[in-house]
Amino acid sequence: MAPEPENHSTLNLKMTLESDRLSLFSSLLGQGFTLKVRTGCSLRELLCEQLGVRSDYVDQRIQTIFLDGKTVDDVDTAVIRQDSTLALSAAMPGLAGATLRRGGAYAAMRRQISHQNKAGHDSVADGVVMLKLFNLVALELGPGLLKQGIWVRGKQMENFFKKVPEYFWSGCRAAEIDGTPLTMEKIGHMEWKHRQVFLKLEVKEND
Amino acid sequence: MDKLLRINMGMDGGPKASEEPLGDYAGLAGRGMTSAIVAKEVPPLCHPLGKNNKLVIAPGLLSGSHAAQSGRVSVGCKSPLTGGIKEANSGGQGAQVLARLGYAAIVLEGKPGDDTLYKIVINKDGVEITPDNSLKMMGNYDLIDTIREAYGDKVACISIGPAGEMKMAAASVAFTDVEQRPTRHAGRGGVGAVMGSKGVKVIVLDDTGMSARSPKDPEKFKAANKAFVQGLKKHPITGEGLPSFGTNILTNVINEAGALPTHNFKTGRFDGASNISGETQSEIMKARGGMVAHGCHKGCVIRCSGIYNDKDGNFVTKRPEYETVWAHGGNCGIDDMDAIAELDRLDDDYGLDTIEMGAAIGVAMDGGVAKFGDAQAAINLLKEVGKGSPLGRIIGNGAAVTGKVFGVERVPVVKGQALPAYDPRSVQGMGVTYATTTMGADHTAGYAVTANVLNVGGSVDPLNPEGQVELSRNLQIATAAIDATGMCLFIAFAILDQPETFEALVDMIGAFTGQDLTADDVTELGKTILTFERDFNSRAGFTQKDDRLPDFFKAEPLPPHNVTFDVKDEDLDRVYNW
Repeated sequence: MAPEPENHSTLNLKMTLESDRLSLFSSLLGQGFTLKVRTGCSLRELLCEQLGVRSDYVDQRIQTIFLDGKTVDDVDTAVIRQDSTLALSAAMPGLAGATLRRGGAYAAMRRQISHQNKAGHDSVADGVVMLKLFNLVALELGPGLLKQGIWVRGKQMENFFKKVPEYFWSGCRAAEIDGTPLTMEKIGHMEWKHRQVFLKLEVKEND
Repeated sequence: MDKLLRINMGMDGGPKASEEPLGDYAGLAGRGMTSAIVAKEVPPLCHPLGKNNKLVIAPGLLSGSHAAQSGRVSVGCKSPLTGGIKEANSGGQGAQVLARLGYAAIVLEGKPGDDTLYKIVINKDGVEITPDNSLKMMGNYDLIDTIREAYGDKVACISIGPAGEMKMAAASVAFTDVEQRPTRHAGRGGVGAVMGSKGVKVIVLDDTGMSARSPKDPEKFKAANKAFVQGLKKHPITGEGLPSFGTNILTNVINEAGALPTHNFKTGRFDGASNISGETQSEIMKARGGMVAHGCHKGCVIRCSGIYNDKDGNFVTKRPEYETVWAHGGNCGIDDMDAIAELDRLDDDYGLDTIEMGAAIGVAMDGGVAKFGDAQAAINLLKEVGKGSPLGRIIGNGAAVTGKVFGVERVPVVKGQALPAYDPRSVQGMGVTYATTTMGADHTAGYAVTANVLNVGGSVDPLNPEGQVELSRNLQIATAAIDATGMCLFIAFAILDQPETFEALVDMIGAFTGQDLTADDVTELGKTILTFERDFNSRAGFTQKDDRLPDFFKAEPLPPHNVTFDVKDEDLDRVYNW
């Protein structure tokens, strides 16, 4: 089962929406969501073997990586553990952006926050990780993960629906919670706090 | 671009303009030109607002040509904020138009004997300087509307708002953009106060009848420019990331790194970061009919700017940049994008540096003047600056003055200038540049043009902790050279990663000037500029003790990584050993 903290009930939210509304989920993806994965593996194994990301995409597109807030330089040696937080981004501008880039010429300039592997053996086990997707990576990997389903905190879901622009709703064709159809108005005004939400999207091409 | 325009504002009988050949300044442009003139002609111990200071406005080496990204302009003087030499850099149309008019620099000298405010109009027929006190205390937006009525919508303007007239140390010089809006600013160091001290409200540039500057080898130039543009467009940062999210693409990433200064540099993470991220900002802009990718000057192919509208679809401001979003956002605990856009608009209208204002308001909040997170209080404080109330004049003179007045110990400044949006405890190499640059804390002083590309200063061992000093040195040298070309610093990413794009840039400069550029030339140009600047600062009284970060960066661990700045003073003092 997916994460279900004490006193938190779970809801399965399935939405069917038009493809041009997908980019609106970028803010949600950037705040972080949880996935059920096998931990104790390398970052590359998680991305490529478990989440189905192409290896060349990992090497070329994902240029800025944080594991528990620390910059990662080597995706083959960094190990994913239970409750790890992993953030993925494309290459960033500016000196700071260049400094944070994995394996970049300026890595020395942020050595205090570079990720170091902990000593010891990591056994593979079922677990959960928090994933944050930023910028181009959110636009490109987000839709696939949203179609598979992600876990988000109810408060995040509530804030998302509060702040989403009005035109979002006109692109939503259907929604259901735990198999029961609901109107968009109900979805937008629901009390989501203290819930864990399994959000899954079905995407239709725009008319 | 073979002449200087000197305008002496303090002549008996009124201001007088004169043209002269470049002389010793031949071959210089942008920051190279401004720093050379200031270092040679301005007495280092003069008062920054006095008659002996000079304000130099210089387009880049390739400005006014068809070279992509060549529209940066440098504004130099002795800074009223730092007391040292200053080069503040801006986009907008000014560089292109000024260069087409044939001027390598405008030098404002002297000081009027009274408080008359002047308007300067420059076109192909010459220079006209007229008193116009009807413009007094006009915001930049109203000012440009007035100029448009008189001179049409094709002219480019260089102007100051009320902050410059009130000679505030955080006052900027505004440059109009492609839509003739005053959204581009040479923001840092109080250059607007120096323009105000010269009694100049606005310089109107009209290049009607002038053509683009011609390269020495047009065919080679055209081919190199084409390859350069292709390189910029295919690179993920310049071709995708910046046009999609602007520079504010950095908010989420810097926050995740624990390097986003929050609540006046108390922590490195801001809970509300995602609400003001570039991703969120772009979605807001799209939903309101704004423009997500937009150039600040003609010839920009990166287009990192944009149009930010209000909820009714009316223009508010250009896309607030990352540093602005941080300064008025996370640094002050504000996660309301509309409030940040309003603050950006007010900064542009009053003519203020957004970084200095956000930092000063953050310090004021730390001093109990307002609560962190109170967006309306921040807006009210900025309006006090625009009015010139006593409180507003304190804030408008920057973070250092604000800290002193309100007894705040945590004041994030170097040489009196506020630190930008990257905490040096998390990104320590950035701290080396903040501490040692001639400009006061400046995130653009050491940019991402690597030694490995330019061979500037030899090779560096990045695994050596002391390599941070070498890296900072090499970056500062390379940046000074790029600033002289008038090229947007964002080209750095493409030339860093794509050797053929770097080659295209070198070919383009060579084809334009008729001289082959070598890496050694770049190194020498950068070193020469920094030497001018260091020498000026030394004669102005700066010593090694000024090349330091404030104590709290060494004493207060920064959450979440709980790191302090630990580069040794003796290492900082090695930056300029070459």
